[in-house]
Amino acid sequence: MIYIYLISGLFIGWTLGANNIGTIFGAAVTTRMIKFRQAALIASIFYFLGAVFEGSGPSGTLGKLGSVDALGGAFTVALAAALIVLAVVRTGIPISISQSIVGALVAWNFFSGRLTDYHSLITIMSSWVVSFVASALFAALLFHLVRRWVNRSKRHLLEQDMITRWLLVVFGALGSYFLGANTIASAVGVFVPVTPFPDLSLGPVMISGVQMLYALGALSVVVGIYTFSHRVMGTVGKDIFHLSPVTALVALIAETIVLFMFSSQGLQNLLHWLGLPAIPLVTISSTHVIVGAVTGIGLAMGGKNIRYSVLGKVSLAWLAAPVMAFAFAFVALFITQNVFELQIHLPLVYTVDKEAVMEIERREIDSKGLSFVNLRSFKSEMDLYKELTLDQTYTREEAKQIISICEVHPLQVNMELLEKRGLDRRLSPAQVQALQKLEEQRFNRRWELAQALAQDESWQGIPQPKSPAQEAQNSRLEGELDLLYKVFYLPAEADAGK
Amino acid sequence: MALVLKTTKFVESQIDSFLDVVSDSALLFQLSVEDYLKGRFEQFEERLMQIRENEKKADELRVAVERYLYERTLIPENRGDVLAILENTDEVMDNIKDTLTQFSIELPQIPEILNDLWMQTTHASTAAVEHLTHAVRSFFRDLGQVNNYIHKVYFFEREADQMGEKLRRLLFAQELDLAQKIQLRWFAIHTEQISDYAQAVCDRLAIYTIKRQL
Repeated sequence: MIYIYLISGLFIGWTLGANNIGTIFGAAVTTRMIKFRQAALIASIFYFLGAVFEGSGPSGTLGKLGSVDALGGAFTVALAAALIVLAVVRTGIPISISQSIVGALVAWNFFSGRLTDYHSLITIMSSWVVSFVASALFAALLFHLVRRWVNRSKRHLLEQDMITRWLLVVFGALGSYFLGANTIASAVGVFVPVTPFPDLSLGPVMISGVQMLYALGALSVVVGIYTFSHRVMGTVGKDIFHLSPVTALVALIAETIVLFMFSSQGLQNLLHWLGLPAIPLVTISSTHVIVGAVTGIGLAMGGKNIRYSVLGKVSLAWLAAPVMAFAFAFVALFITQNVFELQIHLPLVYTVDKEAVMEIERREIDSKGLSFVNLRSFKSEMDLYKELTLDQTYTREEAKQIISICEVHPLQVNMELLEKRGLDRRLSPAQVQALQKLEEQRFNRRWELAQALAQDESWQGIPQPKSPAQEAQNSRLEGELDLLYKVFYLPAEADAGK
Repeated sequence: MALVLKTTKFVESQIDSFLDVVSDSALLFQLSVEDYLKGRFEQFEERLMQIRENEKKADELRVAVERYLYERTLIPENRGDVLAILENTDEVMDNIKDTLTQFSIELPQIPEILNDLWMQTTHASTAAVEHLTHAVRSFFRDLGQVNNYIHKVYFFEREADQMGEKLRRLLFAQELDLAQKIQLRWFAIHTEQISDYAQAVCDRLAIYTIKRQL
């Protein structure tokens, strides 16, 4: 069944291949510096590598925005996001899958009664604007540097052409790699917890099930590249401003830098280490990034030939894409749930009972304000949140913590399930050993399992992380725990069936 | 990478050779006219032979460059412009060859009194072609210098026009048969027109330079 659900993710992958690769190699192909077949081959190889080896970074931020917990929901969200892109791109408004998926995820939150993390939403949306502006600035700066180099170096036109061609290939490959790292999460990120692929050992190289899922997503992107991207490539480099091979290279370098900024875990660690504010790892729109770069070059050349109407459409897309995707996904989720009777989200319950109150107090949150909700159960996060924040009893952050404590999420440690999916290989031997000690034990809430595991050193986080490495360790631990919550989830009906 | 670099260097050398041939031919044109005016007809014929060989060589080089540019898709954005420049520069050479060939066929009788102005016109036309080759070389290597050379081509074209006009006025002031005057006018105009062809190439070159500028 999961393979059928995966189709919508692969559909997104195809859309990514058809649309986004054009932003990397479009200008190079339009200016005939690189043949389409060469561009498609380079893009396919490097997109694939980027997706498989560095694709997990930006998926984290999307996960915070909306953690779709049922396959039916993931399928509908992905499908709605892809369809809205296909529909809207035809109207001439350049929207990206990375933008529509955000609207679709928020729609899922609303439909499922889950809280939307507005902080993540604002981070993601502001990163679209920041990436656009940053790319324009980088391109303008690079343009001045390249112009100076071209004028001073006095290289022969043919040598300059050869250098430009090679750099287009190198940066095209790098750009494809970071595009793979940045966007693959949009396509198959929602299927990570339910990946049907076991880990694969190829001699010294170990490919995890998740990497294989990303690889499958990347393959769908490759199909998109070969089947449809040729047409899209033809329009890049002509729409806003005519690009020459050298200006095409400048735009590509600026785009690659911006994609790198928003995809690289290494850069984030470096910024942490230098005490600089980190750049969020989010999926950005490569279409907007290249439009930003081309605009930057156009402005650096005097701004006379820029078609400002296209810029208007881009800024319209920043708002229109999520709003349209939200509306469409909401209707699609309604239809999927009520017509096809598929599960859109897990039927979670939030109960404020004795254990929950004790845990709330343990985390030093005042429990006096809980009198209105004490011993009550809620069917959605939103209902409990409304009660908690009524009369401003709790802040948003406190309310979110209380909700996560009260969430009833029945779990049973089942090593067989973990091993069957090959997920145990993502854990250390000590972590597996600690889990084995808890085999078949049941927990009613997520934090109960986390606390039980924390008895072992291998599952202990660092209370106040001081270095990027410690923070990375904590977030890795969070990811591992999250995986366990999803794999060991034992819904009430399944439990009754046992 | 090494293969591509080799091809690039090879095409560069072909273009340079082509421009060398054009430049040589312009100088040979000047020397040929001087030989003719001074009655050194044997030497004139030898130089004409050299110019014919140069013209053939220039054609071969131009065709080779064209073939390489298209077969290896080199400078796709500029190759149309580059080929137009090479073809038009080649036309200048054709004109030089045709004018001298006509000298060789018709053997016009040029009164000595016209020699000085004839040489001045020839000098101006030759200088225009010389600076045209500098302008074309700069188009490939040093875009900033192109306009300087174009400016010089325009200067020598005006100079050739002025000298040519003076030459024709002096020619028609002579006591000669009208048929001889008309015959010599043809040669005077063709000597002067070589600079016009050089100017026509520069007109295109100026536009291509703007297109290439970042």
